Amino acid sequence: MNIHRALAITRRIFRGLRRDRRTVALMFLAPIVAMCVFGLAFSGDVEDVKVVVVNLDAGFTHPELNVPVSFSQAIVSNFDKEVLKVDPVADVEEGVRLVREGSAYAVIIFPERFSESLYMKSQNPSYSGDTTIQVREDRSNVNVANAITKSVSDAILKTAQDVGQDLPMKVDAEDAIYGKGAKFMDFFVPGIMAFVVFMLTTLLTLISFVGERTSGNLERLQSTPLRESELVVGYAIAFSIIGMLQTVVLLVIGVAAFDIMIVGNIVLAFAVIALLAIVSLSLGILLSSLAKREAQAIQFFPLIVLPTFLLAGIFWPVEAIPGWLRPLSYAIPPSYAVDATRSVMLRGWGIGEIWIDIVALCGFAGAFLIVAILSLKRGRR
Amino acid sequence: MQTFAVEVKGLTKKFGSFTALDNLNLNIALGTVYGLLGPNGAGKTTAIKILCGLLRPNGGEGYVLGKKVPNRSILPEIGYMPQETALYLDLTVHGNMALYGDLFGLSRSRIAERESELLDFVALQKWKDSLVSNLSGGMKHRVSLACSMIHEPKLLFLDEPTVGVDPELRAAFWEYFDLLKKKGVTIVLTTHYMDEAQHCDRIALLRQGQLLAEGTPGDVIKSAGATNLEEAFLALAKREDGRS
Repeated sequence: MNIHRALAITRRIFRGLRRDRRTVALMFLAPIVAMCVFGLAFSGDVEDVKVVVVNLDAGFTHPELNVPVSFSQAIVSNFDKEVLKVDPVADVEEGVRLVREGSAYAVIIFPERFSESLYMKSQNPSYSGDTTIQVREDRSNVNVANAITKSVSDAILKTAQDVGQDLPMKVDAEDAIYGKGAKFMDFFVPGIMAFVVFMLTTLLTLISFVGERTSGNLERLQSTPLRESELVVGYAIAFSIIGMLQTVVLLVIGVAAFDIMIVGNIVLAFAVIALLAIVSLSLGILLSSLAKREAQAIQFFPLIVLPTFLLAGIFWPVEAIPGWLRPLSYAIPPSYAVDATRSVMLRGWGIGEIWIDIVALCGFAGAFLIVAILSLKRGRR
Repeated sequence: MQTFAVEVKGLTKKFGSFTALDNLNLNIALGTVYGLLGPNGAGKTTAIKILCGLLRPNGGEGYVLGKKVPNRSILPEIGYMPQETALYLDLTVHGNMALYGDLFGLSRSRIAERESELLDFVALQKWKDSLVSNLSGGMKHRVSLACSMIHEPKLLFLDEPTVGVDPELRAAFWEYFDLLKKKGVTIVLTTHYMDEAQHCDRIALLRQGQLLAEGTPGDVIKSAGATNLEEAFLALAKREDGRS
C-alpha cells in the first residue's frame, strides 16, 4: 500500500469534479432538495381534512343549573381546527351524499337527544338513550380516516375535561427521557443524511467505475504500479470527504431552516457517515463489475434506492416493518448508520452506546472493500 | 546477459470457446521497433495485454525484461498505450499526465519536465490546460501516447498508436520512435497500416491467433514472393488456408 498513489487517485477525482459542475450540483443540491421536499411533505401531520357534521341533537336545559346545554356543539368546537375543516349539513342523507361524491372524507353524526342522554347516563349508568357518535369515513385513505377518528376522540376527551367529567386516569408524556420536544424533522434529518450519502455515493461510484472499465482507463491504471487496493483507498478517501461535506450542508440547512435538535457529539455523527460512504463506494465498485455499460448500471438504481428507502428506518421505525421483513432491514448497511446518527444527534449517545452500529458498519466496509478489490483483480483473468 | 525484451513461448489464450492466441512464439530483441500486424481478431491486442499483465494466458509463458509475466516488478519499466482513448475526459491534458506521473512516483518538477518534452513531441503544448473532452480524436490519441511515456519506460507497448493521426504527424511519430530506439528503448506496436510496418525492424504477421510469418519486413515480403506487405499477408493467408 503506497499512500502517494492512493492520494493521486483522490486528487484526480477532485480535479475531475472541479470541471464537472453538474455532478457537483447533484452531490449538493440533491440532498438539500430531498431534505426539504421529504421533510415538508412527510412532516407526519394530516391537515385540512374536509368533514361534515350532522347534528340531530338540539341540546337540552340543564335541570339543576337551568341553562341550555349542548354537548354536541361543545365537542364540535373542540375539534382540532388544523386537522378538520368542518361544515354543518342538515340531514344524514345529505352528509352521506357528500362523502360519496368525494366532497368530504367523513360525516360525523350526533344522534337526537345526544346531550340529554349523555347527562342522564352520567346520573344513571343504566339509562338507555343513544350516546353514540357515528363517524362514517371514507377509509379509502387510511391515514386521513385515522386522523379523523383520532381528532374526534381527542375532542370527546377534551369536552369531558371541560365539563368536569375527567377520567380518573391520565397519561403524561411531556417529560421525555430523550428527544424532549422533538419534531418530525429532528427524527428525519439523521435518516435523510444517511440515505443521501448512501444513495449518491453508491450511484456515483457505480457510474464512475463503469466508466473506468469501459473507457480503458482501468486497464491503463492496472499497467502502472498502482495496486487495486490503492485505487479503492483513493476513492474511499475522496468519497468519505464528499460524504462529510454533504452532511455539513444538510446539518447547516437543518439547523438554519428547520431548527433541528442536535444534542450529541456531531463529530461522531460525521465519522458514522464517512464509514457509511466507504461501505457505499465499495458496493458501487462491486456492482460496477456486473454492468458492461452505463445504461446497465442505471438498472441497479431501484435495487439500491428502494430497499434503503423502505427498510432502513428513515421514514418509519424498523418496528413498523412486518417481522418477517425485519431481517432484511438488518441486512442493509444504511439501517445501522440511520440508527447510529439518530442516537447520537437526538439521544446524545456516545461511542459506548452505538458501538454495535459501528462494528456492523466496519464489518460491511471491510467485507465489501475486500470483495471490491477482488472484483477489480478478477478483471485480469 | 539478457538480449530479449520480450520472449513468448507457446502462448495461448482462450475466451470461452474463442481462441484469441494459439501457441504463439516470439522473441523481441532489446532496442528494436517490433510490429505486430494482422487483421482484427488476430490476437495482437490480447498478446500485448498478456505481456502488460492485464490478462493471464491459458497456456505457455511470456517473459518481459527477463521476468515471467504477470509480474509487478516490471510495471515501472514498461509503458502501455491501450487501443481505447483511456483518458479522463473531465481532466485537462495536464491533469491526465500528472496523474500518471504521480502513479509512477515522479517528483513534481520531473513531471513538469517530462510533460513539456512530451507535449512538444505530440505538438499539443498549447492545449495543456484544455479539457480532454474538448479535443479531437487524433489529439486524444496523442495525449494517450504521451501519458504512456511520462515515466521514460524502457519498453513501450503501443496498441495502434497511429490510428486517427494525420500523415504528417504520423511521420513525426516514426522519427520519434527511431529516436527512442537510439536511446535503447524497445517499442512493440500493433498497426493496421501495412505500409507503415516497413519502418519496423522486425514484424510478426498474425492471423486467427497464429503466427503466419516473422522477420524483417523485407524477409517477410520475399518469403511470400510478394512486392509489398499487403500482398505478402494475403498470399500467406491463402497458403495457410490451402494447407488446413
